[in-house]
Amino acid sequence: MSEAERKFLEVHGLKKSFGSGDTKQDVLRGLDFTVSKGEFCVLLGPSGSGKSTLLNILGGIDGADEGRILINGDKLEDMNEKSLTRYRRKHLGYVFQSYNLIPNLNVKENIETGAYLSDSPLDIDELLKILGLFEHRYKLPNQLSGGQQQRVSIGRAIVKNPDILLCDEPTGALDYTTSKEILQLIEEVNQKYGNTIIMVTHNEAIKRMADHVIKLRDGKIRHDDRNTEKITAAELEW
Amino acid sequence: MENISFGKRPKNPLHKRVWRDLLRDWKRYLMIFAMLVVTIGFVSGMYVGNKSMMTSLDGNAAKFHRENGHFELSRIAEPEVIAAIETGSKADMVTVFRERAYEDAELEIEDAVREAVEEKVREQVEAAITEQVTAAVDEQIKAAGKKLPDDMRQEMLDKALKTAMDENYEKAVRDALKKAWDSEEYKDALAEATDKAHEEIDKEIDKEYSKLEERYELDQPLDAVPVNVYELFYKNADEHFIGHDEYEGKIRVYGERNEVDLYDLLSGRAPENEREIIIDRMHADNVGIKIGDMVRADGAEFEVVGLASFTDYITLYESNTDTIFDALTFNVGMTTDAGFERISTALHANYAFTYVNPPADLFEEKTLSDHFLKALITQVAVAEKEPEIKDYVPAYANHAITFAEEDLGSDVAMCGVILYVLTAVLAFIFAVNISSTLEKEASSIGTLRASGFTKGELLRYYMSVPLLVVILAAIIGNALGYTVCKDIAVGMYYQSYSLPTYETLWTPEAFLRTTIVPFLLMLLINFIVIVRMLRLSPLKFLRHDLKKTRRKKAVRLPRWSFFRRFRLRVFLQNIPNYLMLFIGISFVMLLLSLVVGLPSTLSYYQETMPDMMFAKEQVILTDYKDEDGEIIRTGTDGAEPFSMNALEYRTEKFSEEISIYGIAENSRYVKLGEQKNADEMWISTAFASKYHLNTGDSFTMHEKYENKKYEWKIAGVYDYDAALSVFMPNDRFNEVFERDADAFTGYLSDQTITDINEKQIVKRITSEDMMKIAKQLDHSFGNYIIYFQYICMIIAAIILYLLTKIIIEKNERPIAMVKILGYEDGEIARLYLLTTAVVVIITELIAMAIGFYAMKLMWEIMLQELGGYFAFIMKPEGFVREFVLVTAAYLLITVCDYIRIRKIPKVLALKNAE
Repeated sequence: MSEAERKFLEVHGLKKSFGSGDTKQDVLRGLDFTVSKGEFCVLLGPSGSGKSTLLNILGGIDGADEGRILINGDKLEDMNEKSLTRYRRKHLGYVFQSYNLIPNLNVKENIETGAYLSDSPLDIDELLKILGLFEHRYKLPNQLSGGQQQRVSIGRAIVKNPDILLCDEPTGALDYTTSKEILQLIEEVNQKYGNTIIMVTHNEAIKRMADHVIKLRDGKIRHDDRNTEKITAAELEW
Repeated sequence: MENISFGKRPKNPLHKRVWRDLLRDWKRYLMIFAMLVVTIGFVSGMYVGNKSMMTSLDGNAAKFHRENGHFELSRIAEPEVIAAIETGSKADMVTVFRERAYEDAELEIEDAVREAVEEKVREQVEAAITEQVTAAVDEQIKAAGKKLPDDMRQEMLDKALKTAMDENYEKAVRDALKKAWDSEEYKDALAEATDKAHEEIDKEIDKEYSKLEERYELDQPLDAVPVNVYELFYKNADEHFIGHDEYEGKIRVYGERNEVDLYDLLSGRAPENEREIIIDRMHADNVGIKIGDMVRADGAEFEVVGLASFTDYITLYESNTDTIFDALTFNVGMTTDAGFERISTALHANYAFTYVNPPADLFEEKTLSDHFLKALITQVAVAEKEPEIKDYVPAYANHAITFAEEDLGSDVAMCGVILYVLTAVLAFIFAVNISSTLEKEASSIGTLRASGFTKGELLRYYMSVPLLVVILAAIIGNALGYTVCKDIAVGMYYQSYSLPTYETLWTPEAFLRTTIVPFLLMLLINFIVIVRMLRLSPLKFLRHDLKKTRRKKAVRLPRWSFFRRFRLRVFLQNIPNYLMLFIGISFVMLLLSLVVGLPSTLSYYQETMPDMMFAKEQVILTDYKDEDGEIIRTGTDGAEPFSMNALEYRTEKFSEEISIYGIAENSRYVKLGEQKNADEMWISTAFASKYHLNTGDSFTMHEKYENKKYEWKIAGVYDYDAALSVFMPNDRFNEVFERDADAFTGYLSDQTITDINEKQIVKRITSEDMMKIAKQLDHSFGNYIIYFQYICMIIAAIILYLLTKIIIEKNERPIAMVKILGYEDGEIARLYLLTTAVVVIITELIAMAIGFYAMKLMWEIMLQELGGYFAFIMKPEGFVREFVLVTAAYLLITVCDYIRIRKIPKVLALKNAE
């Protein structure tokens, strides 16, 4: 792995607070870490630890007060709104806990909304098969289970083959079995397409399947570890 | 990593969503679409019909050789007078009057000088004879050598003188005069006297002419305005249609029109003999006359062989000073010249004229008309038999020619405004709807934005539906505009005006105004709303945090019951929707004020006009004295003399004729107060209201054709709504208008005056005459007005439907939640629907007042152009009707809303927001 690939994502002195005066609350208090290309990175921490805020800043939909973020050499803080949009369009995929699918587009069309943003998207039918949604491709979101909807959401994010896939509690609203299925899918996507994955979760068990685990508490990194031995998603138990 | 297969970049899937959005919410879009189609169709129809008709009217002037104006003389003018008028140049009045005066004076001067000379000669001859006779008598006495007493001498002298005078005086005078006439002295005396007389004449003429010059502004240099003058004589007669006994009207019959003011024969043929006539098509339609019917004009019967539109009577104005046209009881006809002779009523020596060099524009036309009028005044003044100018109406000021065109123009402007207001209301409804959709789809939008969709892509997507709806509506609306709606618009015009035939024309303006403008309005309003919302960060969308400024705490409410506080929360949550509802209802109420207020006003005037008149009858006499110089009197109980005249009141934009009344002292009909100052007058409430005049204000009245004005002060406002009038004591009236002290114009009476010869009566003004305006307006709009009321109700229902739907949709999840909590549908309806009901009722009441006052203002503006005045009256039942119509629409929508609430599934509260 080259130096550039090793330091695919660099975060230096990242700070973020909300409110002002007496009500000012420091959410991120100076974070420094790097993520390698193709790495499966899990951001762990209790509620209010700042992990979702960090994810939003990495995704360019929120801004930091201080610090620097370099993605593949590009400085995020130098980008204006238009450049940030372009950056998200070309390099990022988002998966949220609450799927956020477009209700009157069917499964395939929802995935097409992601494909439309890329000049060279993945083959949608093939992806649908990988996602296990091929036979459901003409269904509307409200005709799907929660797990299926989350698969669509992952499909929408992954179809443009983003450099980084940002997942914000993707299993937060799912049951154990479905959650495992989704984690398996993310694992498969990571292996098949080689995207860098940054996943926010408060489920400690998930760290075992990650390459890289960053633990946050009160806006600070408490642990920044790389797993030497990781297990597959199928092997996870909690 | 395994091998990756790449696919093709798909088309933007949001495009597919546009059609699905339309289908998903088809009821809402169908309502908006229908409203736009109807409005665009109707307005487009108005534009197309209007443009086609206007083009036809414009072409008419040339096609039917329409006059540039006409004038009426007191009698038929001699050909040389007409020839002089045709030169269009100002007559040299001073020279003509001077020559005429010199000529008249010449004989008088000679007679006077001869008389003086003869007197002198007679004196001289008498003296010479007396001297000679005295000398002869004295010689005779001396020769006789006697001394006679003086008395005998005198007796002898008288006798001799008598004999001498009898024998020689006349001959001597004749001889002397003969010499005198040839003498230089006589010639000098005559010349001197002539010079002196001419001097006097010049002085007098200069004095009189300078008065005239000032009065008619003749001192300014005038360009000659050569014209062609055509005889266009007519006779006014009572009109009866055989078989239509209940009908009574008037007809103005013309002889054959071959050169000027021709006609468009809409059906039938031109008259071919003295028993045939063609009449106005509009009037025939109104009265129900068909070709083949018989019309009687003052005793002479004619068969109607054709129905026509006369180019100088596009609108049937009997007189140019009438407030409004009268296509119900006034008719125009044309027969052959022989037929014309069969009508025995007085001939009106009316002449039409056309300019030899037609004016390029209205400004030039006005200048030409002013110059020609002055030329006409001078040419008529210098005419041998001095006919009087009874009337002068240039075409541009002739309501019979211009009113329809102006009305057509203002109708279109009004429809355009309605279209834009309605489109703006719909665009705002769309915007509110989109704003609500954006709130509803905030998570999806946040995700799309986070995934890299640009604001522009989302803006284009959310703009697509409103623009698609307006484009589709414009296409269908315009198609209707060129077909069905155009026919409706043209039908409406044909019901009011005597319009000629027309051809449907492609009207770019219709396309522009009914397609481009609504499209731009929809684009602009939605653009602003969507762009404002999309300015928010993706994160805000993901968090459903779409308020620019968020209150830290909820608004504190009074300690009311839970239900009342809940409803108040619903109100506070939906303020933008209720604001739109207020604008929409206000718009509907404004329209309703017109369509309910107009019939209300007309019926009020028809009911109260007889009471409004200060006397049941105003009888106008030809003169206050008969042929023998005796004052025309009546024995009718309560009849009292009065005087009447008309002056112009001028504002920057308009000038209008006002009736000036001279009222008898202690009148029983018009009770004026005491006149403290000679220049203080009373004005009618109608005059005061129209021009916002008050007691103590000064105002100026102008003579219509003369440069003469009167400056008066308002002594008081007399309660008279029937006409614009000024009142003053009759004595003062006679002073002001320089009339005989005992002069008057006619009689006011509550009883019909029967003891005055009809030939001495010019006209009788009754409440029927005053009601012409109300009747004609009633006829023009009456049939349509009721439909418009229901259209307003439908518009109200659609606006309410669209806005209440948004409110309920916004609250679907809370409604589902309160259902889960155990609230019944009725209770939920009270929570959500009662708030809207209260808002609708309060809005209705406020909007009704706004609509009423806005309509009053618009009414005044409309009457400024129309002339005359009658206040906009909304009877209490009118307000009730407005309220009932909108409330009925609301109740209908409430039923739909209630059903909608019942249909909301409880499970919705537990589902994902999307």
